[in-house]
Amino acid sequence: MKIIGLIIAILTGVLLLSATADFPIFGDPDSPASTHLSPYYIEKTMEDTSVPNIVTAVLADYRGYDTMYETAVIFTAGLACFIILRIFVREEPGDRLYRHVLTGVTVRVKEGAKLPPSDDFERIDTMWTPPDLIIKTVCRLLIPFIQLFGLYVIAHGHHSPGGGFQGGVILGASIILLAISTDLRTAVQRMREKVDAILCPVGVIIYAGTGALCILFGFNFLDYSALAPLLHVDPITARSHGILIVEIGVGIAVMCTMIWIYNILSSGGKYDEGL
Amino acid sequence: MSQQYPALLIIVPLLSALLISITGWINKRLCFPIAVAALAVSAYSCIGLLLRVVDEGVIVYRLGGWDPPMGIAYYVDHLNALVLVVVSVVALINLIGSKKSIELEMPGKTAPFYALYVLQVTGLLGVVVTGDAFNLYVLLEITALSGYAMLAMGDDRAPLSTLNYLYIGTIGACFYLLGVGYLYIVTGSLNMVDIANILPPLYESKAVLAAFIICLVGVWLKMAFFPLHAWLPNAYTHAPSAASSLIAPLVTKVMIYVMIRLILTVFTPEFTFNILAISEPIVWLAVVAIFMGAILALAERNLKKMLTYIIVAEVGYMVGGAWLGNRLGMTGAILHIVNDALMTLCAFMVVSNVAYKLKGYAFDDLKGLFRKMPFTMGAFVVAALSMIGVPPTCGFFSKWYLISGAIQSGQYAFMVALLFSSLVNVVLFFRVIEICFYEPFSDHHGHGHDHHAEPMAEAPVSMLVPLYVVAGGLILVGIYTSDIVNYVIEFAIPKSIL
Repeated sequence: MKIIGLIIAILTGVLLLSATADFPIFGDPDSPASTHLSPYYIEKTMEDTSVPNIVTAVLADYRGYDTMYETAVIFTAGLACFIILRIFVREEPGDRLYRHVLTGVTVRVKEGAKLPPSDDFERIDTMWTPPDLIIKTVCRLLIPFIQLFGLYVIAHGHHSPGGGFQGGVILGASIILLAISTDLRTAVQRMREKVDAILCPVGVIIYAGTGALCILFGFNFLDYSALAPLLHVDPITARSHGILIVEIGVGIAVMCTMIWIYNILSSGGKYDEGL
Repeated sequence: MSQQYPALLIIVPLLSALLISITGWINKRLCFPIAVAALAVSAYSCIGLLLRVVDEGVIVYRLGGWDPPMGIAYYVDHLNALVLVVVSVVALINLIGSKKSIELEMPGKTAPFYALYVLQVTGLLGVVVTGDAFNLYVLLEITALSGYAMLAMGDDRAPLSTLNYLYIGTIGACFYLLGVGYLYIVTGSLNMVDIANILPPLYESKAVLAAFIICLVGVWLKMAFFPLHAWLPNAYTHAPSAASSLIAPLVTKVMIYVMIRLILTVFTPEFTFNILAISEPIVWLAVVAIFMGAILALAERNLKKMLTYIIVAEVGYMVGGAWLGNRLGMTGAILHIVNDALMTLCAFMVVSNVAYKLKGYAFDDLKGLFRKMPFTMGAFVVAALSMIGVPPTCGFFSKWYLISGAIQSGQYAFMVALLFSSLVNVVLFFRVIEICFYEPFSDHHGHGHDHHAEPMAEAPVSMLVPLYVVAGGLILVGIYTSDIVNYVIEFAIPKSIL
């Protein structure tokens, strides 16, 4: 069987490679890809959308419909992880560990028993290790700047490489860094599952809803120039603003999906304690 | 508002899928009504769109207001308007009929399931409606991802068989994407009509040939065309009832649609049938697919798995019909997309009713089922007659066109395969009916009650009514076949195919 697979793989490879003989030369300025549509985008993007970054304009406006579904794909991935892996347990069996914050004494609470409600005790993982001071401090210092940079990447997609996907990944990574440098429980306290799981579709709704709003104004779906009266700008600037709105939606969706998937995977679906 | 039908039919389900996943965290009971309302709006738009297309001809909808090929555009012609109606109606009926079974099989996770269900329908509708080769791939991803998630929610073996499907499905999608990439390099465009206009001088190019072949193989992987079918039976058998009765009727049919779209629009019949001259081997492959599907179905002792092998055979019908290269065969293939979607839906809805009451669908579990669930089995008989091809059920008419097409093009092997598969279907379904009708219900409490009539334990009315709507649809579509062919399919096939 393995040999048959190898032969098929080689044959497919030969087919694909032999077909490249008819391709235009690499970087050929006369190739169809650079003569058919690209000149239009290069010449007209600024006129049409007032966005200096052509890639952003193609991604979020000319082919914005594809990008909306790419965002929906990311959301679907998060939802798929949730439905397959998430396990709902009311109270996990076994002992629970609490740590007295002031003294550092660890208390083991037997199954079924309860600790009187108090702020002095914090719940800790069963495989708890004291957080490393250096790692914890460095991450605490870094995270705000990472998040600030994420916001910059989202907002600056019009002018430089960047946009919702990249910025969203950076924002999501900052929360995941918090979860790694301290523990999952701390990160979940900052961003509860319900908040995360609701914000995730909200991000896609911002995108698709902007498009649907254009229909209500009597234009085609995702024709951002419809938003001009709403934003008090001319139709072309409205396209630029429309792109920013949908990029923010993409950023929220990507950030929340990353956090959601990481939390579910690292806690084995229980969403309580993990890496 | 009717100007916006092409957008509404897909945007409404997308937005409601997102809304469902939010309301799932607030009030779970709202999810089902939202899903039904969304699919109902979508079905209404699809039917409105079909009527408009029949009146006015091809409808172009420019997304974002950009002219194609700069932006993405929908081209709705008779072919995709028809498939859109099938997809949206099948999804709506199945959703209404599956409420109880979803609540039984996935307690606590109904909300994300409804969201995935509606996302899946969004993806399928998007694949069908789009006129952009890359946009088709993006929606294929949504369809695939939500499909994997739903299929994996079944019994203990579901995750493994779904993982298998995931690998194969990903390879299929990659092949399609690679093919689109090759096309983009040689044409510089992603718009289907634009590609078709640029291609003619390039028909001799090896890159175009490679693009065509890998696109085709990718789509075949996704539709489970015989030797590439191995993922399908297990993935569908172990899936939850509601998921298999959505995915089994629709995903393979939509993939057949994609293949026909590639043949007819992107590469044009001139290239596929005259220049390539690969129709004959593909029809032979279809013959093998039909034979193998039928034989493998015969070997099964499990109702649901048997039906999955019948799907493999039916895929052979449609691929063979489309590649006969004549008008009758193509008409048969397109008509069979409609009919097979309805037949498979009916059969799988019966299975989900049986699963709701019996917790198993191996042949031994089915004994005495006519007495226990007479109404469900009544619908099963209609589905069986249609799959065998008995008039006036719709299965007869598409088979008639396929066989006529085979005779016209002299592909007698394909004709024999169709007749053989019909005969095997007779054996398959009458075996099931015999077990359900004549053998007494297996009674674990001793033999004392054997002579008495088994108490009737029929599925709830909310599952039976949609089932009977579909069963009635099988006969109605059969009766109105000539209208469907004359007003819709006739215009879906280009004039160059004789």
